[in-house]
Amino acid sequence: MSDTHYCCPFCGLVCDDLSVDLPGCPRAVQLSTAPALGVARSNGSEVDTAAAVAAAAAILRGARRPLVAGLACDVTGHRAALDLAERTGAVVDHMNGAGQFRNWLAFQDGGWMSTTLSEVRNRADVVVLAGTDATAFPRFFERCLAPESQFGELSRRVIVLGDSHSFPPERLAGTALAIPIAKERLGELCAALRARLAGRLVAAGTVAGMAPEQLDALLATLRAARYGVLAWNAAELDFPDADLAVRAMADLVTDLNRVGRWAVLPLGGSDGDTSAAQVCTWRTGYPLRVGFEAGGPHYEPLSHETGRLLAMGGVDALLWISALDPERRPPETDCPVIVLGRPDMTFERPPAVFIPVAVPGLHHAGFLHRMDGVVALPLSARTATGLPAVAQALAAIAKELSRAQA
Amino acid sequence: MLRLKNGRLYDPARGVDGLVQDLYVDAGRVVPAPGPEVRIDAELDLAGKVVMAGAIDLHTHIGGGKMNIARALLPEDHRGDRVPASDLGAGGFMHAGCGHAAPSTWTTGYRYAEMGYTACFEPAMLPANARHAHLEMGDIPMVDKGAYAMLGSDDFFLRLLAAGADPRLIADYVGWTLDASQAMAIKVVNPGGISAFKFNTRALALDEAHPYYGVTPRQVIGALARAVHDLGLAHPLHVHASNLGVPGNADTTLATMAAAEGLPIHLTHIQFHSYGTEGERRFSSEAERIADAINRQGNVSADVGQILFGQTVTASGDTMGQHRNHRHASPDKWVVMDIECDAGCGVVPFRYKDKNFVNALQWAIGLELFLRVTDPWRIFLTTDHPNGAPFTSYPHLIRLLMDRDFRNAKLDEIHPEAAAHSQLRGLTREYSLYEIAVMTRAAPARSLGLAERGHLGPGAAADIVVYRDDADREAMFGKPEYVFKDGELVVRDGRVVKVVNGALHAVKPEYDKGIERPLNDYFDRYMTVKMAHLKIADDEVCACGASKLVPHACTRHSS
Ligand code: SF4
Ligand SMILES: [Zn+2]
Repeated sequence: MSDTHYCCPFCGLVCDDLSVDLPGCPRAVQLSTAPALGVARSNGSEVDTAAAVAAAAAILRGARRPLVAGLACDVTGHRAALDLAERTGAVVDHMNGAGQFRNWLAFQDGGWMSTTLSEVRNRADVVVLAGTDATAFPRFFERCLAPESQFGELSRRVIVLGDSHSFPPERLAGTALAIPIAKERLGELCAALRARLAGRLVAAGTVAGMAPEQLDALLATLRAARYGVLAWNAAELDFPDADLAVRAMADLVTDLNRVGRWAVLPLGGSDGDTSAAQVCTWRTGYPLRVGFEAGGPHYEPLSHETGRLLAMGGVDALLWISALDPERRPPETDCPVIVLGRPDMTFERPPAVFIPVAVPGLHHAGFLHRMDGVVALPLSARTATGLPAVAQALAAIAKELSRAQA
Repeated sequence: MLRLKNGRLYDPARGVDGLVQDLYVDAGRVVPAPGPEVRIDAELDLAGKVVMAGAIDLHTHIGGGKMNIARALLPEDHRGDRVPASDLGAGGFMHAGCGHAAPSTWTTGYRYAEMGYTACFEPAMLPANARHAHLEMGDIPMVDKGAYAMLGSDDFFLRLLAAGADPRLIADYVGWTLDASQAMAIKVVNPGGISAFKFNTRALALDEAHPYYGVTPRQVIGALARAVHDLGLAHPLHVHASNLGVPGNADTTLATMAAAEGLPIHLTHIQFHSYGTEGERRFSSEAERIADAINRQGNVSADVGQILFGQTVTASGDTMGQHRNHRHASPDKWVVMDIECDAGCGVVPFRYKDKNFVNALQWAIGLELFLRVTDPWRIFLTTDHPNGAPFTSYPHLIRLLMDRDFRNAKLDEIHPEAAAHSQLRGLTREYSLYEIAVMTRAAPARSLGLAERGHLGPGAAADIVVYRDDADREAMFGKPEYVFKDGELVVRDGRVVKVVNGALHAVKPEYDKGIERPLNDYFDRYMTVKMAHLKIADDEVCACGASKLVPHACTRHSS
């Protein structure tokens, strides 16, 4: 069966049903247009790629401890980024690290019971969207909550916990329940639901703004699920100690599994963040925020964070990889910055070195994981380019580094 | 040409038991003794040394989604075994990583090679996760690799079975799965049970109907064993039986053997499936009954899944079993995942304690099985890494098998009632070097159909291990003097001296590609992935990281 469909790298769904006739959501269409060529720059001047590579190597050679961050690319790019980080004694972090580590901290504290997209599509009769409207994943409803299921027609109940005003009205219409609740109180709500589930009384008064009867009604709906799914998008849980809210949601799902079936679905995986975490985990044991030190990989999930490292002077050079979305520019910093970016990336404050790179899944083939971390899909080259892939640019820098050492 | 002179060879595939003989290696192969006109470029005098083929692990969870979940879950375990990078100059670069229970891919490859292993097989690759598994295995250096595709709880198969599909159609689907996922064999885990768990069923006995499909685990085993046989695979259906770890499961295990109806069947980590319910604690050894059954039935092989004491992590496709076991999690965190209408996985960290009655008896049951199964060609040395213990404990395990005094000394240390319950002390058998070479080399190669591995005859790939003949077998097997991979010296005195990459082995069965029509339709209607994108093309295998793809042809039998 010949494959005329291609996979989209531009969000964590990695839709694999796109074709010339069906080019995907607006985001996919927009990001699929990228120049086939670009201009490398060093200290503001146009240079050829070789000179830019040499300038990048010079910065890394002069650095005591670089930060290799951004990491928006495909698996082959991630492998090359980790190779270079290892050889330069760098720390690695992803541009979506804030959200990723709300999940990882909760995960490493207690684990969870989770599921994947095709299970959701075929089984989920109750879907809770906690603190998210899922619009960061434009085709989530179409792809994962389509009505047809191999186990017969599913009448899904979608429960929205959060600011329902952000929810598209056409979605809300089909929603069983929309409970306005501040994201910061999701943890409190889940703790109360767990207490009620265990048969304990919850102190009189409201919990997370909900009356006791409302709480019990919600719990009854959750318990009636044949296969319930609790989804959140950690990137949108932007408040202090959000990992504790994630933990509370995971614990609620675990408790619901004592008698029924439930699973968590952490939405995410955009900008290649699932692949970055997967590759780093199999190569080092840790899901990013690893520093390569003389004694071996050193994991610091809190302090190896891009913003903190740059602010505290914990690193003295930044290599920023952003090959998927030109809007994802490097953070402001005073240390020298090397950017491997899409050719259409523009800067207010140009980095010391800019090397335009090919877009994975558009200009070159590769591999990318979907948000669930299970399915890794093949990316294909859809248009020709003269640009190097991230892995090629990084290999060139590494070669330049070892040549200078020899 | 390289001459390995005067070594004492243990090469059971040719019946060679401690014969002093020279070996010649050229272009990565063992070659016949050359004539005098051929120049010998290098020579090693191995007088007094023990020489075997490279060891082959046919059941070790080295790569794939569940291992990455285990790694991500256990930063505290990695911290105790940090592995720095090491530049070997002309020998290449050894990457940093981590060791112990869920080692990084790099460290996995280095440490296997440093124990004299040259091929490892990941036994639980989910077809939905296959590309990820190949990417992970692509970063495991030093050893050849392969993987078994998991079937039996995937909805497409269960639909076929429930609809009473023709065995030929089922064989086509199994053949397609092997081909699409670049697999070496078929494994079934808790037959039908992973699917049943998604329907909120918490236990599924061998003859119990699946809550949705109505088929029984026995039917699942029968259909898959038939398909594997008809496709002409070398390795039998690889079965993780129902009721893992449940006291009294020995009856299920015996019935599972019977479910193959005389066709070849491999029962994995059989230690976890050899439990009775005798005694005050309602937990006892059924090792004797299980071993007798294996001894009697030539179509049955098994690997042990020995447990050894200490911290580890259990990783399994058996969501039903792992959810049941989560209350034993230590540290108290665990993961259960339903996966893609395909299968699932469960990860539960575990600490086996020698002073715990159940753990101590599990240890003794595993050893009893090793010692009671008389034919080393049908029982394989595994700890079900990392489920019973990390693979790095193999040298210790080999000493337990080869050294009765050592074994009895260890028996004195375990929970006294467990020691008293066990008949282990009465078992005087000590494995010989020849038998160790059978169970870790010749037999796994034969079971997997690796004609060029696991032996030292002319034409074999020159995967060769040289040991000092040390009475302390743990020291001996933990630190080979030389390891050659495809003719290259890669390990010296138990340390990697040259980094190499390994090949990927996969079977290429014959099947009717017409199966893609209903499959494509099924994926388009119900899945969030297209059938075409689940398939891993031959040229992707190297892009994933393997040095090359080694295809193994199969001859289809008609049923
Ligand atoms: S939803 Fe995401 S993966 Fe799908 S087409 Fe849009 S951007 Fe691409
Ligand atoms: Zn196993």
